[in-house]
Amino acid sequence: MKVKDLEKLKNEGLENLPSGERRRFLQFGLSVTGVFLGGTVLSLASANKAQGALGGMSPAKKFPYSPHYTMVIRQNHCIDCERCKEACQTTNHVPAYGYRTTILEQARPIGPEENERIFMPVLCNHCNRPPCVRVCPTTATYKDKVTGIVMMDYKRCIGCKTCMAACPYNARYFKEENRAVDKCNFCVDTKLKESGGKTTACAEACPANVRVFGDLTDSTSKAYKLIHAPEKVVWVLRPETGALPNVFYMND
Amino acid sequence: MKFNDKSAQSLLTLLVFGAVLFICGGQAVGEEYDEETYGPEAPIIFVKPVKAVDFSHKVHTMGAGLECDSCHDGIFQMEAGNAEQNDDFTMESLYAGKYCGACHDGDMAFASNKRCTFCHIGVKGFERLHNDGKPADAGHGGGH
Repeated sequence: MKVKDLEKLKNEGLENLPSGERRRFLQFGLSVTGVFLGGTVLSLASANKAQGALGGMSPAKKFPYSPHYTMVIRQNHCIDCERCKEACQTTNHVPAYGYRTTILEQARPIGPEENERIFMPVLCNHCNRPPCVRVCPTTATYKDKVTGIVMMDYKRCIGCKTCMAACPYNARYFKEENRAVDKCNFCVDTKLKESGGKTTACAEACPANVRVFGDLTDSTSKAYKLIHAPEKVVWVLRPETGALPNVFYMND
Repeated sequence: MKFNDKSAQSLLTLLVFGAVLFICGGQAVGEEYDEETYGPEAPIIFVKPVKAVDFSHKVHTMGAGLECDSCHDGIFQMEAGNAEQNDDFTMESLYAGKYCGACHDGDMAFASNKRCTFCHIGVKGFERLHNDGKPADAGHGGGH
């Protein structure tokens, strides 16, 4: 099949995909690339259809989950104090060799010999079309039907790490203690549960309110208001993958 | 004649800015750093209440032309780390005009609630300074 034809194909979605289809798709991926690289076989197609800055949210009249959990990152307020990371490690028993969330660092030129430091918190983006879920051979990782959280069923995980390769956000690690892949689940079994669906460990620990956790179906929530604020640029990471992430970034 | 007023104002701003740059630049190029005049050359690294903030005497004295007594001992004690012991050494205090906020008010210098990472170097910056970039508790991890 030519790349042009590939672009015209309709996305068949994730629901009700029979495993035969899934296997054929994976085989197809292998035959095109030789290796199944990062779950983005379709990236062979040109990126001109990438939706750009508002990728995940512009077409949505109605959000597919309820509550539809999201995290808004007010990036320019992040100072890399890493209290979020510490809180996550303690709350979710994350070992020192892995992370569910971390902070990346960038230098952006703001003059001939001057750089600006930028700290960028990253975590699982709980994508609406998660590449990790698509490639999992045992359905150990799946979209929660109610909240849209990308979950892990450790008992079903065989540790093949295909999801780790497929994730565009590098948000997964192999947890030796569980003999399974581990990742952010918006604290669904810990802080989110304790707080009655209000917050996560990282959002609570942040001294600068960089991480704003909320429900997109609630138009009164701070997260909703931030994302929909007039005259603000909101972006997602790697929109070209078409994964439709639910973690939004802005300078506020 | 609003337009003219505005352009006159911006010209003036430009001139003042240029003059400041000229003076600062001239000093920075021509002169050696003298710790007696300008304070310790090594940065002061604050780790409380968050890790970490990088303060440079050089930028403030040699660069911006402040005198020692502009800050010492009115705003900061000479002894490094003294301010950190105070419970009110927080961003809130800065916004209220204490400590760095005495100048960093958006008027004299950029406001304390802007350009966070200009001063905040983070855990990563701290580790680069102290542990050669490696996390302090980095043992053998899970490495194989």
